[in-house]
Amino acid sequence: MKQFQYTRAVSQQSTIDAIAKPGTKIIAGGTNLVDLMKRGVTAPDKLVDINNLPLKNITSTKTGLHIGALALNSVVSENSLVLQKQPLLSMALKAGASPQLRNMATVGGNMMQRTRCAYFFDVSMPCNKREPGTGCGAMGGYNRMHAIFGASEQCIAVHPSDMCVGLAALDATVIIAGKKGERRIQFIDFHRLPGDHPEQDNHLAMGEMIIGVDIPDNNFAKNSYYLKIRDRQSYAFALVSVAAALDISNGIIKQARLAMGGVAHKPWRLFDAEKALAGKAATEENFKQAAQIAMRDAKGYEYNSFKIKMAPAVIAEALKHAAGLV
Amino acid sequence: MEDTKHHTEPECEMEAKDNSRRNFIKQSTLLTAIALTPGTAVKAAGMHIDEKIAEAFEKMPLKMEVNGVAHNLSVEPRATLLDILREQLDLTGTKKGCDHGQCGACTVHVDGHRVNSCLTLGVMISGKKITTIEGLAKGDELHPMQEAFLKHDGFQCGYCTPGQIMSAVSCIREGHANSEMEIREYMSGNICRCGAYPNIVNAIQEVKEGGQPV
Amino acid sequence: MKETTTLKKSAQTDGLSRVDGRLKVTGAARYSAEFNIKGLTYGVLVGSTIAKGSIKSLDTKQAERAPGVLTVITHLNSPKVPGYQDGKPTGNGVFKIFYDNKIYFSGQPVALVVADSFERALFGASQVKAQYNQDNHQTNLRANVNTAKAPHGDGTYKRGTEDAWKTAPVKVEQEYIIPSDIHNPMELHAIIAQWDGDDKLTVWDKTQGVQDARDEIAQIFKLKKENVQVNSKFVGGAFGSALRTWPHEVAAIIAAKALNRPVKVVLSRADMFTSVGYRPHTWQKIGIGATADGKLVGITHEAIGQTSTYENFTEGTVGVSQSLYACPNVNTSYKLVALDVGVPTWMRGPGEATGAFALESALDELSYQLNIDPIELRMRNYAQTEPQGGKPFSSKYLDEAYKMGAEHIGWNDRSPKPGTVNENGWLVGYGMGGGMFGAYRDGATVKAIMMADGNLILQTAVSDIGPGTGTAMVSIASEMMGIPAEKIRFDMGESSLPQAPTQGGSSITASVGSAVYAVCKDLKEKFQQLIGNGGTDKPDYAQVLKQHNLAKLQVTSSAQGGDERKKYAMFSWSVHFVRVKVHPATGVIKIDKVACVADSGHIVSPKTARSQIIGGAIGGIGMALMEEVVFDHRYGRIVNNNFADYHVPVNADIPQIDALFVNKPDPYINPMGAKGMGEIALIGMASAVANAVYNATGKRVRDLPITPDKLITMDVELS
Ligand SMILES: Cc1cc2nc3c(=O)[nH]c(=O)nc-3n(C[C@H](O)[C@H](O)[C@H](O)COP(=O)(O)OP(=O)(O)OC[C@H]3O[C@@H](n4cnc5c(N)ncnc54)[C@H](O)[C@@H]3O)c2cc1C
Ligand code: FES
Ligand code: FES
Repeated sequence: MKQFQYTRAVSQQSTIDAIAKPGTKIIAGGTNLVDLMKRGVTAPDKLVDINNLPLKNITSTKTGLHIGALALNSVVSENSLVLQKQPLLSMALKAGASPQLRNMATVGGNMMQRTRCAYFFDVSMPCNKREPGTGCGAMGGYNRMHAIFGASEQCIAVHPSDMCVGLAALDATVIIAGKKGERRIQFIDFHRLPGDHPEQDNHLAMGEMIIGVDIPDNNFAKNSYYLKIRDRQSYAFALVSVAAALDISNGIIKQARLAMGGVAHKPWRLFDAEKALAGKAATEENFKQAAQIAMRDAKGYEYNSFKIKMAPAVIAEALKHAAGLV
Repeated sequence: MEDTKHHTEPECEMEAKDNSRRNFIKQSTLLTAIALTPGTAVKAAGMHIDEKIAEAFEKMPLKMEVNGVAHNLSVEPRATLLDILREQLDLTGTKKGCDHGQCGACTVHVDGHRVNSCLTLGVMISGKKITTIEGLAKGDELHPMQEAFLKHDGFQCGYCTPGQIMSAVSCIREGHANSEMEIREYMSGNICRCGAYPNIVNAIQEVKEGGQPV
Repeated sequence: MKETTTLKKSAQTDGLSRVDGRLKVTGAARYSAEFNIKGLTYGVLVGSTIAKGSIKSLDTKQAERAPGVLTVITHLNSPKVPGYQDGKPTGNGVFKIFYDNKIYFSGQPVALVVADSFERALFGASQVKAQYNQDNHQTNLRANVNTAKAPHGDGTYKRGTEDAWKTAPVKVEQEYIIPSDIHNPMELHAIIAQWDGDDKLTVWDKTQGVQDARDEIAQIFKLKKENVQVNSKFVGGAFGSALRTWPHEVAAIIAAKALNRPVKVVLSRADMFTSVGYRPHTWQKIGIGATADGKLVGITHEAIGQTSTYENFTEGTVGVSQSLYACPNVNTSYKLVALDVGVPTWMRGPGEATGAFALESALDELSYQLNIDPIELRMRNYAQTEPQGGKPFSSKYLDEAYKMGAEHIGWNDRSPKPGTVNENGWLVGYGMGGGMFGAYRDGATVKAIMMADGNLILQTAVSDIGPGTGTAMVSIASEMMGIPAEKIRFDMGESSLPQAPTQGGSSITASVGSAVYAVCKDLKEKFQQLIGNGGTDKPDYAQVLKQHNLAKLQVTSSAQGGDERKKYAMFSWSVHFVRVKVHPATGVIKIDKVACVADSGHIVSPKTARSQIIGGAIGGIGMALMEEVVFDHRYGRIVNNNFADYHVPVNADIPQIDALFVNKPDPYINPMGAKGMGEIALIGMASAVANAVYNATGKRVRDLPITPDKLITMDVELS
C-alpha cells in the first residue's frame, strides 16, 4: 500500500473542500477502501476520515425514515424504527458480509463499494473499470458472478451490495452534499450502467459526498422479503438476490416493489413485473408470470447463463415469502 | 503526503495534540529548509534524503488503550490495527488469516464491538479501547467462553480460535445467541478450516445458557 | 510387534481436553510468524503474472529506493544456493527459487523484497517491475488429456479379466471430475530464518515435519544437520500443505544470509493458492458392472490428474477401486497431464478422496439400477480379505460401521425412489459413501524424564497441525504410568528433539504413540529395578526418586513396526451418512444431518478424535459443495485466489455432526491397537453428499462442486 496522508474531517464542509482535490478520498468503515488499497486497485494520496461527522442518525421524519450516511450496517439492521417501518432493509443488510464487517461498514460506504469482479481486483488483469482502455477481462473470461442485465461491451460487472437492493426496492432517495449545497437523487438513479464509462459506478460527482438516505413510508412492512442465493449459506456474495415488497389487501396486490442484486451494474428494479402484479391476486401463478416478465431483456454469458433460469425462480420464491405463502 | 501547506489547512485538520503538531512543524521546517519541492516522503527517501526525516514524516501519533494498557505509538497511516498489534505490540494472539476481511481470524473488540482488525487502519481508532484475546481472561481465571471452548473442544489447530472466541463473546453480547441457527449465522464471519463449528456452537450455547456475564 | 496387549478405555483420560488448549484459547500459543526476534525484517514475495516463459527484465530500482527497503532479491543477485547445482528446476525436493529466469507457473516468485516493516516491504513489492518473454501456456486439464502419460511404467493395474464390467447384466459407466482444491489452512505459511555465522541456521517454520524440513534445508544449503534447527511448536492447520519444504522457505533463508539479519516471510492468502500445493484437478471414468443380485463382476477405473511441468506429483487415486470391495475383475490406469501450473501435493485423504468420490458415486448409481439398497449392495461385496493379495486384514469392522451410521442418520426413512420426499417445499435425500486408507506406522523415538516432583516430561520431534497429538500422547502416557494428565508435559515441534516422523498419512498416533508406550514401559521397568522385587506396577514415582536420592530418572526408547505388516493388510475404514435438503427452484442445498463412523481401532483420545472426524467431514462437505480453483486459461492465472471467492464452509453450512467410533482395537498394528483417522474422516464424504443430493432430487452431479447453478440447470435422471 502506498503511503498517504490521513486527516480527520471536522465538518461536512471541510470534507467537501478536501475531496474536491483529485487523489483525495473519504474513508468511512474502510472495509472496501482499505481492501482495495492493499491490492493496489486504488491508491489515494490522502484519506479524509469522516467518522466524527454527525451522520449516524436514524430518525423518523414526516414522510418517512432518514438514515445518516455513517450509520453502521449492523446498527441499521437492528434499529427498531427500521425493523418496524422497513424490515426489508434490515433483512437485506443482514444478508450481507459478516457481523464483524457490518459493525464497520456504513450506509454511505456500502452504496459506494466497488464491484467484486476478479478482473477488477487483480491488477495484473485487464479491466476497463479499474483502468479504462485495458479491456474487459470478464467478457471472455470467468463471468459466473456477472451481469445479465444492462451490461455493455466495456464491462459486465455487477454491483455487489445487498443493502442497495433493498433501498432500490423501497423508493429511497439519496441525499448528497457538495460545493453547491445539497441535492437529492432517486436511489434507483444513483448507480449507473457501465456504458462506455464503466470506471464510473454512480452519479456522485467529484467533490460530492453522501450524507444520508430517506425512505418514504409505505405499506410494505407486513409483506416483504429479501432472498439471497449464494454458494454457501452465509458470508458470500449473491449469485442472485431479490428484494420483494407487497402491499396486499384482501388477497389482492395493490402495489409491488421488486429489485434484484447480482444481475447488473446497479441494483436492478423490475418495474414491468411490478406493474404486472398490481391489481392481481397474490398467488404463486401470478408471481411466476411476473418473474418471467422481469427476464425479458436478460442476456447471459459463458458462465452466468444459469442466472436466466435462477433469477425468475428467486423472484417467485421471494414473492411467495413476502406474501406469506411459504 | 503532499506539500507543507496541507498541514495548516484550516478546514480539514489532523486531530493532533500540541506535541505532534510541533513535530509536524519541525518536520515541515526541516523539509523546507532543504528546499524540497512538494512531494512525498517516498520521493524524499528516493533522493537519499535522511531516512529518519522521511520516516518521521510518514508516521503519525496513535494513542489507544489495548487490554487496559494505554499506548502512545507512532505509526504509518497505512498500518492496520492487526499489524500494529502483532508486529509493534507483540500481541500475536490476534491472527492474520487473509488480511482482507474474508476470514475473521483478526477479530478484536473496538470499544466493545467486534471488528476485523485487518481492515481497520490504526490511525482510525485513535482514543479507542481495544480488547484482544490476551485481554479476555482475568489473570489466571479464564473467561467463561475460553473455558467453554476448552470443554467443548471448539478448535483443533487453534489458529482461528482467538477470532472465534472474540466473535463468540460478541455474539452473546449482541443478543444473537438465542438458537443454534442464530449462532451459526452470527458466527459465520469466522472461518475455521479445521472444522470445529459444531463444537463452537455448543460452547456458545453453554455459555449463553449458563447465564454468566460475558 | 510381539506385544498385542491393548489399552483399556480409561475413564481418566476419556474426556481429556487438549493439553495445549489453554495456550490456544488465551492467544499465548505462538505460531511460526509470531516470534519477536531482535532485528527482524520482513520479506514480501513478488509473483510472476505469466504462466510460462522467461523474465526479460526486472526493474527493482524503485523498490530498492522505497523507504525502509533493505534488499530486493531476484535471480539476478541471489546468493548462490549450494544445493542447487544442476540445471534442473527442482533440486533436493524443492523448486529452485531465484535460480534462473524461467517461469513455470503464474504466481511463481520472481523477487523477494525485504524491508524493516511489513507495510514497507509490501509497498516495495508493488514497485518491482517485471517484463517477460511469454510462451504459450497450457493450464487446462480437459483440453490436454491427450497428452496424459503414466508417471511410472504404464500406470496400470489388473486382476482377473480386463473390462469385465462390460459383460455384466447391470452396469454403469460414467465420468467424474473434481476441480483442484486448496488446503487453505487458516494460518498462512510462514517462516522466520536466522543465521548464526555462516554455518548455523535456525528457522521458525510452518511444517508438518521439523526433522524432514531440517534434512531438506541442510541439503539445500549444504549444512550439517545438527547445525540446522527447525522449530514448529504450533501449526495453524496444514492438511498436507506443510508436508514438504517450499520455495518461500528457501527464499527467507537466502535473504537472511544476504542481509545477515533475521527475515520473516509470510505468504499472502493469494500465494497460498499457487505456492504450497493443492489437491489436483482430476478426471476419472468408472465402468462398474454387477449381476442382477448385486454381485460385482468388474470395475474399470481410469484417472488423469494434473501436475506441473517441472515436477511430477502422483497419488493413489485408483487404489480404492483395487481394495474397497471384493470384486474379481479390476483394472485401473493412472496418468498425469503436465501443465504450466504449480505442483500439487498431498491434501487430506490424498488420492483416495478423489478416487472414492468416483467409486462411491458409481456404486450408488449401480444401486439404483439394481434396485438394491446402497448399504446392502456394499455388504454383498464386502471384502473379508484384502482383495488384491488375499491377505487377512489386521482388523476390519466396516460392517459394524455401516450399521451404526445407518441407525444414527435414520436410514430407514430414506426413500429408494429419488426426488419423492418433500418437506415444506424442500426435497429430502439420504446418501452414504465410504472410505479407506492404509494404516501406517513409522519408527519414532521418545525421551521420558520423571522429575523429582513426580511430573513426567516426554520429548519427541513430532509437530501437531491440529489433531491433538500432544493430547493423545499424554493420554497414552497417563494410562501407562497411572498419573494424571496434568502432571505430564509433552515437548515437541523442535528438530533437536528425539526422532519422530512427519505428521502425515494419519500415522502419528500409531508411530509416536507406540514410542510413548515403549518409553513408558521402559521407564516403569527402571523404576521396578530401583524398587526391587514386589513393587507395584504404578508406584509413587516421586517418592521412589526421593528414597533413592535421585533428581530425575530418564530413559529414551524407540519403537517401530515389525513384520506384522507382511502378514496383514492394514487399513482404517470410514463411512459417512448425510441427509440433505434441496430447494428445487433455487438449487440451494442444506446439509441437514451427518453421521460419520470410523473404524480406527482403539480410540486413544476420544474428545480430540471426535473433533478430527467432524473436521474431516466438514472438509468433505466443502469439497462436495463449494471448493473449486478456477483458472482463466487465457492468462493461465487463478481468478478466485482468496477466501471470498474460493468458498470453504462457514458455520452456517454445518449442522451438528455425529462422530462415531467402532472403537475396537486392532490386535496387530501397535500396542495401543490404534489406527489412523485423519484421512478417512474426509475420504468418501463428498460422494455421500452427492449421493444424498441425487436421492433428494434425481439429479446426479458428477463434477464437483455441487453448486446451486448446476442443480437448477440440469435435468432429472431417471434410473
Ligand atoms: C469479505 C467481504 C464480504 C462482503 N460481503 C458483502 C455482502 O455479502 N453483501 C454486501 O452488500 N456487501 C458485502 N461486503 C461489502 C461491504 O458491505 C462494504 O465493504 C461496506 O459496505 C463498505 O462500507 P464502508 O463504510 O466500510 O466503506 P469504505 O470502505 O470506508 O468506503 C468505500 C467507498 O465509499 C466511499 N465513501 C464512504 N462513505 C462515503 C460517503 N459518505 N460519501 C461518499 N463516498 C463515501 C469511500 O471513499 C470509498 O471509495 C463485503 C465485504 C467484504 C470485505
Ligand atoms: S485476517 Fe482479517 S478477516 Fe482475515
Ligand atoms: S481450529 Fe484450526 S482453523 Fe479453526
